Amino acid sequence: MNASATVSLYTPRAAEIVSVADLTPEERLFRLRLCDGSELGHQPGQFVQLSIPGFTEAPISIASSPSRKGCFELAIRRAGFLTGEMHLKKTGDLVGIRGPFGNPFNLAELFDRELLLISGGCGLAPLRSLIQYCGDFPGRFGRVRILYGARNPEFILFRDDLQQWIDSGSFSCSLTVDNVTSGSCYEGATGFVHNLISTLDINPADCSAVIVGPPLMYRAVIDQLHCKGLPDDRIFLSLERQMRCGVGKCGHCTIDHLYCCQDGPVFRLDQLAGVKGAI
Amino acid sequence: MKTIADLELVGFFRQLASDYDIRVPVLLPDGGRAFGSIDDGALALGGGALPTKPTAVFFPQDDTLFAQGSGGELLVPEHSRPLFIAGFTALDLRCLKFIDRFFADGFRDDVYFRTRESAVVATVSGYCGPDGALLPLANGDCDLEFIALRGQWLVRAYSNKGEAIALLIPGEASADAVAEVGALAAIVNPDEEVIKAASALLLVDAVPDSFWEEIAVNCIQCSGCNLVCPTCTCFGVQDWRYADRLERSRMWDSCQLDGFMREAGGHNPLGTDALRTRRRIHHKLAADMTKWGELGCFVCGRCDATCPTGIGIVAIARQMVAQYGSFQAG
Amino acid sequence: MKRTLTVCPYCGTGCMLHLLSEGGRLIGVEPSSTHPISRGGLCIKGWNAFGFVHHPDRLTEPLVRKDGVLVPTGWQEALSMVVRGLQSVQARHGKDAIMFASSAKATNEENFLLMKLARRVFGTNNIDHCARLCHSSTVTGLAETFGSGAMTNSIDCIDRAKLIFVIGSNTTEQHPLIGSRIIRAVNKGAQLIVADNRRIRLSRHANLHLRHRNGSDVALLLAMMHVILAEGLEDREFIAARCENFEEFAAIARDWPPERAAAITGLGAEEVVAAARLYATSPAAMIFYSMGITQHSHGVDNVRAVAALAMLTGNIGRPGTGVNPLRGQNNVQGGCDMGVLPDLYSGYQKVSDPVVREKFRAAWGGGPLPETPGLPLTLAMNAASKGQIRAMFIMGENPIISDPDQSHAREALQSLELLVVQDIFLTETAQLADVVLPAACFAEKDGTFTNTERRIQLVQKGVEPPGEARADWQIICELARHAGSQVMNYEDTAQIMAEIASLTPAYGGVTHQRLAPYGLQWPCPSADHAGTPLLHTVQFSRGKGRFALIGYRQPAEMTDARFPYTLTTGRTYFHWHTGSMTRRTHLLHREEPKAFVEINPVDAAAIGVRNGGLVTVASRRGELTVAARVTGTVPEKVLFMPFHFMEGAANALTNNVLDPESHIPEFKVAAVSIRRGQ
Repeated sequence: MNASATVSLYTPRAAEIVSVADLTPEERLFRLRLCDGSELGHQPGQFVQLSIPGFTEAPISIASSPSRKGCFELAIRRAGFLTGEMHLKKTGDLVGIRGPFGNPFNLAELFDRELLLISGGCGLAPLRSLIQYCGDFPGRFGRVRILYGARNPEFILFRDDLQQWIDSGSFSCSLTVDNVTSGSCYEGATGFVHNLISTLDINPADCSAVIVGPPLMYRAVIDQLHCKGLPDDRIFLSLERQMRCGVGKCGHCTIDHLYCCQDGPVFRLDQLAGVKGAI
Repeated sequence: MKTIADLELVGFFRQLASDYDIRVPVLLPDGGRAFGSIDDGALALGGGALPTKPTAVFFPQDDTLFAQGSGGELLVPEHSRPLFIAGFTALDLRCLKFIDRFFADGFRDDVYFRTRESAVVATVSGYCGPDGALLPLANGDCDLEFIALRGQWLVRAYSNKGEAIALLIPGEASADAVAEVGALAAIVNPDEEVIKAASALLLVDAVPDSFWEEIAVNCIQCSGCNLVCPTCTCFGVQDWRYADRLERSRMWDSCQLDGFMREAGGHNPLGTDALRTRRRIHHKLAADMTKWGELGCFVCGRCDATCPTGIGIVAIARQMVAQYGSFQAG
Repeated sequence: MKRTLTVCPYCGTGCMLHLLSEGGRLIGVEPSSTHPISRGGLCIKGWNAFGFVHHPDRLTEPLVRKDGVLVPTGWQEALSMVVRGLQSVQARHGKDAIMFASSAKATNEENFLLMKLARRVFGTNNIDHCARLCHSSTVTGLAETFGSGAMTNSIDCIDRAKLIFVIGSNTTEQHPLIGSRIIRAVNKGAQLIVADNRRIRLSRHANLHLRHRNGSDVALLLAMMHVILAEGLEDREFIAARCENFEEFAAIARDWPPERAAAITGLGAEEVVAAARLYATSPAAMIFYSMGITQHSHGVDNVRAVAALAMLTGNIGRPGTGVNPLRGQNNVQGGCDMGVLPDLYSGYQKVSDPVVREKFRAAWGGGPLPETPGLPLTLAMNAASKGQIRAMFIMGENPIISDPDQSHAREALQSLELLVVQDIFLTETAQLADVVLPAACFAEKDGTFTNTERRIQLVQKGVEPPGEARADWQIICELARHAGSQVMNYEDTAQIMAEIASLTPAYGGVTHQRLAPYGLQWPCPSADHAGTPLLHTVQFSRGKGRFALIGYRQPAEMTDARFPYTLTTGRTYFHWHTGSMTRRTHLLHREEPKAFVEINPVDAAAIGVRNGGLVTVASRRGELTVAARVTGTVPEKVLFMPFHFMEGAANALTNNVLDPESHIPEFKVAAVSIRRGQ
């Protein structure tokens, strides 16, 4: 191999882990900083390809708002080969970052509207980027309501954030868990997150909804939103696929003619009409 | 237009070897043909399309993306000499154009273009198909074209690089020969109509899920259909850690495999043979049509030839049209 | 760029492929477009055959154990440690206190040389290889009935068969280019019977799928023959002209009405009748079988029953017919042919025959050769745990994962004074070794493999081995020289083949030169012989085909209240055996990353486990916890586990009980329990 020191579409940038915090038994929050001192330059809804030598890469949503400068945050569930290794990393360790990639939440379409931010499981991570953004620019949006469902009380992500969001008065937050594990002191709602929608007072003309969660959740939530009269072009969702490259080449994230890493991960529901297997 | 005799070709390609890495169709010890360097076997420019993926010269099965030394320094491989490739058919050329656009669109894939950009591509056409059958003319979209006609090769250049190489050939084609090339009939591949009809059926969603189950029962997941396809571009990524370095490479992947879309958490949007078989065909005949405005299959026949159980794209399209052809688009 | 035409290193189908390399590094594979089996295709393993070759885990230098740790050393030290160690054990405990395990992954030339090393240099017949674990029942059973323990027909014959009977072979997964050929034949009108209680892919194409109980094959086959005799469907002319011992055999078969078999097999009597009629009335019926027949404590009887069925109906010696054991490893046929067997020299010549011994003695420069047959591999492991075998030389095998009853195998290997392992990776077995010798892999050496249809094909070197690693044949020759022997000096592997040809009648006409491009099918006795695609055409190799007298014996371990499930083991499509190569191949590992057990949905519901959930499976030998794969592929009360995975090793559970004649272990039936795991 003739080689020269250079960069390529596929070479990662070095990033340092600034801090690590436990979120749940399976999820940790990593705060990172690019070693060259530059900003990541992302928008809410985008993702990065996290690279660890020997473990290839995985797509990870960015959990912090671009309005929070200097660092960015990734909430990572221990699910596979790379994420398992990431959980062994400590403050000061270096990892690789490519990106940001992907189609973000279209802020222009959300400005001045009432927002319904609905998430399940680790779907709260990409949504947190948007929530922080809303918090940092409160005048730009209408009323923001957060609906969040976790598997059980142990797996509630961003507990402190949720409390802070409630306390700030900028948001209303509704929380539910699928079931309560025995011995838990959880006293909130139980049931699936879509069940929280029926009791909401929603004016379809003013409202836009954003959904991020596991595949099973989408159908049920969308049905509820339809019942409330929300049209498809005011429902946004972020789809998860197994992206290998993040730049529309490897083919692992295609949904019919769409490349989830390029055309998505954020789609407006009407763009997915007739696309088999999208949700 | 230039002309060169069959026997002079080897010497001509050898002459180019001082400036280029040469890839030409050669005769293999098992009697097959494939791209090789001049010394890999007897030159076999005639004989038609090569059986394996022609675009592998730019997008090989296993390709190093970069290496990283123990100090963290990144090394991206470079090719010092440009490639000269002769032996694409006009069909192969259309496939190449298709993936050229794919790799250039959006983020430009520098790993592909590090060999592609500097390469000289020469097409073969004229009476050099299997048993001397007529192959369609390229009429452009390449640097050079070798047109087989009555025991000679007429050479036509389409680019500056092609012109420079053609200048090395002393023989000028006769006016008669040039006229004869001009009069060569266009070739109609009847399978192309079948593929178009199948595409139309897929675009109006006229093919039920049961059809894919019926087809997929034959699939043994060899992945050959994808790996010989000139327009298949999917890849996986692998890391190998040696004592002194990391090597990250990409290798061909196949949408016919269960792990292709399986997520770390276990969810799999392509979790059955039927869904995967649909994906393979639908991607070429419907998704590519929607995204690029043209079919991703140029009916080269390679997947049909390699499939051990006979479910290449043409075979499937035939069956689809036979079963559902009565549905009319719109 | 360089292309090298060679043979796929995985299964016994023997597809040929081109290795593509650039600057000494493999970058891909292309199928041979003209090869009679590959025909321009490959299976997923073939397409990825290059994928492990440059893996960072490759052994690159010899290792010796010092203070309990394996440390790198030079070849001189490693080789003299091996030779001194083996000689010292022999001096103290006798010539037969050492055992050689050869490899069905290595070439014919290498197998022949290890056989020569054991017998000529170390004076012991204690040599065997993994055929003991896969097709020793075939070698014994078919040699007795036909006179030759190999596929009677060729793969090409599939295109001419009118009916294909597959019993105990998951052909599309284990011999994919043969399985797919069967699918093509069926799509073109051939009939198919599949006898296998798993709902394997081929069963979806079958006219008749018999899901008989594990280990009930003899009952099924005898009852089919009962029906054939009762309905007069036997080929009397063929039997009279070509076979012997028929009347005695027929008396046994007449004792097996379908109802009797139904009770044992769990099939309906009408299914047995239908199968018998379909098979017997076909003008050309071809049988394929594999480990589902051989890996039983009555494996030889299973093989005899299969052979009898073909003879009874005259389905042998013609195109599109025959008894076709599908050999597992790329060169397990060759390993057997080369005499890495305790009782046979190359070409199945008996070590107990003084004429044969004299022939080899003369060719190998005089000196005595051992007279009594040595130990089969499975008995040698038992002997090791009893202290009767004190040293073992293992070339390219990984018994810690591949042998039955893992804790027994581990204990046996750990009790050795000296364990030498020659391999390409530090396998689980090599990790226990005192000396590890780094070998070249298939892509890094020359030689020949013999495929399941007896086709001897050229293996050619595409790239250099890593570091100090050397080809097995070179290492064996060095060992001989270190032992002070001058009888093993060869310039190249072609020279070794010349010696093989001179001593092995079936290979008599084989030279490397003649093998280009697609090889020759043995018997090929002379330089002008074109090879033999079809055996037993005029008469059987032994003269008359012999109907063996067989009776039904149930598996050694039946289910009971404590162990109510039947465990059967095997392989998956994506992995090869102990996974040392395929688990290091990106795509193959991704497809099948972890150990699992197949369980029927009804049973899964009963124990309360969902797909992917953990279960603990236990037998009398051990227990392990793996992921459940909930699937209708297995019938109720039957579990299937692949044996590739060290971290969920099926062979921790299997039963080390052996067929009394072939000494093959009963990998296919063990009684187990299963519960939800943590």
